Amino acid sequence: MVKQKKNLEETANELEPIAVEKATCEDHVRPMLEEIKKSDGVIGYILRNTTSATIDINDPTKVIDYAILSSSTFEASEQLTEMFDLGKLRNITVEGKDAKTVHLNIDENSISIFMEKTVDTKKILEEMDAL
Amino acid sequence: MRSENMENDVYSFVLRNTLTEITNACPDIQNIFLFKEDGDIISGEEKAQEEAAVHTVNALDEVLEKTKALGGMENMSLEGTKGTVNVSRLNDFYLVTVVPKNSDLKYVNVFTNVLLPTVLNLLDKIAPALNRNNQSETENEEAQVRPAIEPNEESTEETVEKQEHETTEAGPEKILPEPQVNQFIVENVGGLFASSDTVRIDADTLSQWTELYEDKKIEEATVETFGGKSVRCKLKPLKNAKLEGKGIIQIPEKIQQTLDVRKGELVRVKPVIE
Repeated sequence: MVKQKKNLEETANELEPIAVEKATCEDHVRPMLEEIKKSDGVIGYILRNTTSATIDINDPTKVIDYAILSSSTFEASEQLTEMFDLGKLRNITVEGKDAKTVHLNIDENSISIFMEKTVDTKKILEEMDAL
Repeated sequence: MRSENMENDVYSFVLRNTLTEITNACPDIQNIFLFKEDGDIISGEEKAQEEAAVHTVNALDEVLEKTKALGGMENMSLEGTKGTVNVSRLNDFYLVTVVPKNSDLKYVNVFTNVLLPTVLNLLDKIAPALNRNNQSETENEEAQVRPAIEPNEESTEETVEKQEHETTEAGPEKILPEPQVNQFIVENVGGLFASSDTVRIDADTLSQWTELYEDKKIEEATVETFGGKSVRCKLKPLKNAKLEGKGIIQIPEKIQQTLDVRKGELVRVKPVIE
């Protein structure tokens, strides 16, 4: 019985930090994205995980296009990462003629940030890396 | 994928060699290839490279389509812990390079961002005809749409000769070229005996078409407006010699009404080959 109790305690101890870390990550990602969205030239973001998705895009007419672009970019990146043995995905930047995007994974969150071409993507990535 | 079709092209041969030389000069590059949105691929000579290129194009297909939301893709960079894939637009092509982590990107970029675009531009300048061979069907169709008024008659002859040459090359089964599309300016038809279902164009264009389509009798044409309306009608040469060579098409009033066009407007005319 004593041994069993110890095991339970161990399990609880093992789970606790993970749960805390998860909560911390979720707590931090969204406020960070909201903060980034306030920056000049940032059009919006899409935050997705296994259970929910948050879309905050300035132009509502672009929401569907951006959402599809985000998911197809992540899908393509999975295939390319595996094919060329690129290791763990760090980030993807896609630059168009009018705008650009940055995509990255933080834990189980897939994040896409849309911005005007003038915005410094490195700075955005650095801010996200700080999480 | 039509990578095989491009293999024999001089244009793709030059680019393929350029890619090979870039790889030789820059061993950091794990993979490099060019592709067009329509699926044409120019990759290295190794089979594995070509297979990787085909899979990459398939993977990027939807992204390229959806990047129109950003105004069309110019550059894409996918960074992993062990390497990076970069996709950048060069004229009509997309250049894909795969480099490992810690590779000298500045050195790689000298080749990919400077040398390759220079080769592409040079090829376009010194051999535009070669490039034309690689154009997609849509582009070919667009290229065929040209005004009936040709200031330089030589170019018309050149096109006709080229198309004839292509037909000859097609092998024992003679394949007729796609119907040539010409633009004409609408003119009214005068006279009491003007047929209401016949349009008239200059005899020269008619004889060019007849020549081009191996002496097939061309009796009908499709007249199409830029608004998308089209009518198939009988075709005859102009009666009035003064209108010859001016790129004019005489269209009866009834057909003008159907097409919703008026005198002075442009229409596209394509011979009906049967």
